[in-house]
Amino acid sequence: MKRHLLRLAIDVFFGAYIATIIDRVVIPRVVFDNVISVFDLPHQAFVIALALILGVLGSVSSASVGRLILDGSVCGAWQRAVAMNVAWLGLTLTLLAGWVITGISPSALFNGQGLEGAGRIFKALFTPNADIIGAALLAMVETIYLAFMATAIAVPFSFALSFFAARNLMDHGAIPRAVYVAIRFVTNFTRSIEPLIWAIIFSVWVGIGPFAGMLALVVHTISSLTKQYSEQIEDVDTGPMEAISATGASRTQIVWFSVVPQCVIPFLSFTIYRWDINVRMATVIGLVGGGGIGTMLIQYQGLAQWREVGTIVILIALVVWIMDVISARIREALK
Amino acid sequence: MPSLITAENLSYEYPNGFKALKNVSFNVQPGEFLVVIGLSGSGKSTLMRTLNRLLEPTSGTLTFNGTNVTHIEGDALRMHRRKIGMIFQHFNLIKRHSVLRNTLYGALGQLSSAQSLLGKFSPQLSEKALQRLDIVGIREKADQRADSLSGGQQQRVAIARALMQDPMLLLADEPVASLDPATSHSVMKYLERINKEFGTTVVCNLHFLSLVRQYATRVIALKAGEIVFEGQPADITEQWFKEIYGDDATEVEIR
Repeated sequence: MKRHLLRLAIDVFFGAYIATIIDRVVIPRVVFDNVISVFDLPHQAFVIALALILGVLGSVSSASVGRLILDGSVCGAWQRAVAMNVAWLGLTLTLLAGWVITGISPSALFNGQGLEGAGRIFKALFTPNADIIGAALLAMVETIYLAFMATAIAVPFSFALSFFAARNLMDHGAIPRAVYVAIRFVTNFTRSIEPLIWAIIFSVWVGIGPFAGMLALVVHTISSLTKQYSEQIEDVDTGPMEAISATGASRTQIVWFSVVPQCVIPFLSFTIYRWDINVRMATVIGLVGGGGIGTMLIQYQGLAQWREVGTIVILIALVVWIMDVISARIREALK
Repeated sequence: MPSLITAENLSYEYPNGFKALKNVSFNVQPGEFLVVIGLSGSGKSTLMRTLNRLLEPTSGTLTFNGTNVTHIEGDALRMHRRKIGMIFQHFNLIKRHSVLRNTLYGALGQLSSAQSLLGKFSPQLSEKALQRLDIVGIREKADQRADSLSGGQQQRVAIARALMQDPMLLLADEPVASLDPATSHSVMKYLERINKEFGTTVVCNLHFLSLVRQYATRVIALKAGEIVFEGQPADITEQWFKEIYGDDATEVEIR
């Protein structure tokens, strides 16, 4: 029954989706040249009609895309042909609509004037201005510290939260389960918002600068590390937990003496990797006023001083690469 | 003499609906070396875990040392577990910690959380732990990491950890199943010694009948969650063996 409904939903969706792409993208932007029509009754009717047709067709016969997707095959020759063609039509229209909407234009990519401009910038980028290296290094250090502080501040929070976000430690009653769900929900939600957005929010809150950038990273790091830590906790060997339980230990003791020792090294490894990620993120956050090297980069870019931009870009690449190597080495040594 | 354990119609059903124990009734007398045999999945391990209440029986009654412990929880449950030491097939030591610390963890049930979380154990406790390690002949390894020891040595550390509880009952869940024959006997001999010298009651799951005959004072056989045999090790005849393990089984000797 549930499967049947899901199949119907897929059929109806395909009908509506194909009709919408034809009506909103293909006809106005491919057939006619940018004649945008109002989405009024006839257009709505077209979408609904195609949805209904595919829905009914899939219900009364086995010519159903839903069946094709869920079961992997459709019985009957013409039913199969219809379902396959509808599926292919959906895919083809998606590619076509994607092409149109993205405004893909090979002529713009290989336009002479454009190429000349790009060439000028590249040339400047590769003739860096050594005069600003001192200032750039200082800004880079600021970024690394910013990333380090964000990680350091986030770790205790993540550590504490992760035990309450691990399913295997929170399955002993309704309240623990509710806490688990709540923490998972909040961390998933905050993590799904890009640090860049957080940086904008915090720069309004505490003013533009490294502090705002760090707060943005703290939020993102807490939710990311909580997730990674708690997944590690869910992965621990249950044998030692059982052994410690059997001594009459309390719940806290069980976690502290059997779960934590198994997690310390992986936690450390995740943390170092997170710092590495945070250095890269801090650079990007700097672009929206989070301070450090990113802010310096965007200032020179605004002035179209491409040689200085080039200096900064090379410096960032170098530092990110070094951080990457060091963090990989440390994580390898921790295994 | 009153029984140490009285199990009446004990049943356990896993959350997925699998009935691991079905109306199991038996007694354990103080000082016994009771061995539980049966195929994998016959409910041996589940039975062990209901005795120290790592699992709560679905129905029936479990009496330990005169107290009904079937559905106790909280502090009463901790107190109950404290009296029962347990060792496992895979030793279940904290691999990265030292032998001494692993032994000390046997005393966690006697310490408050606040006392123990700092990781500081009193000199008296450390002395006691060293003495327990001495009993299983492994005192000189006290400072080594647990995972640097061989399987048999690790199991002896696990025994020392259980002895930290000064247990009235020692549960051994397949204690030699992942050890080689020679090491198996060494571990079994320590269990036997603890049983005979300290009078600690032992309930042990075993696979090899030759070990059963050598160490058990009494045997219970489980099949599909029910007791199908109860008696002396010598009473396990060829016929009983087929009954317990199925017609295709042949006995394997371990010397």
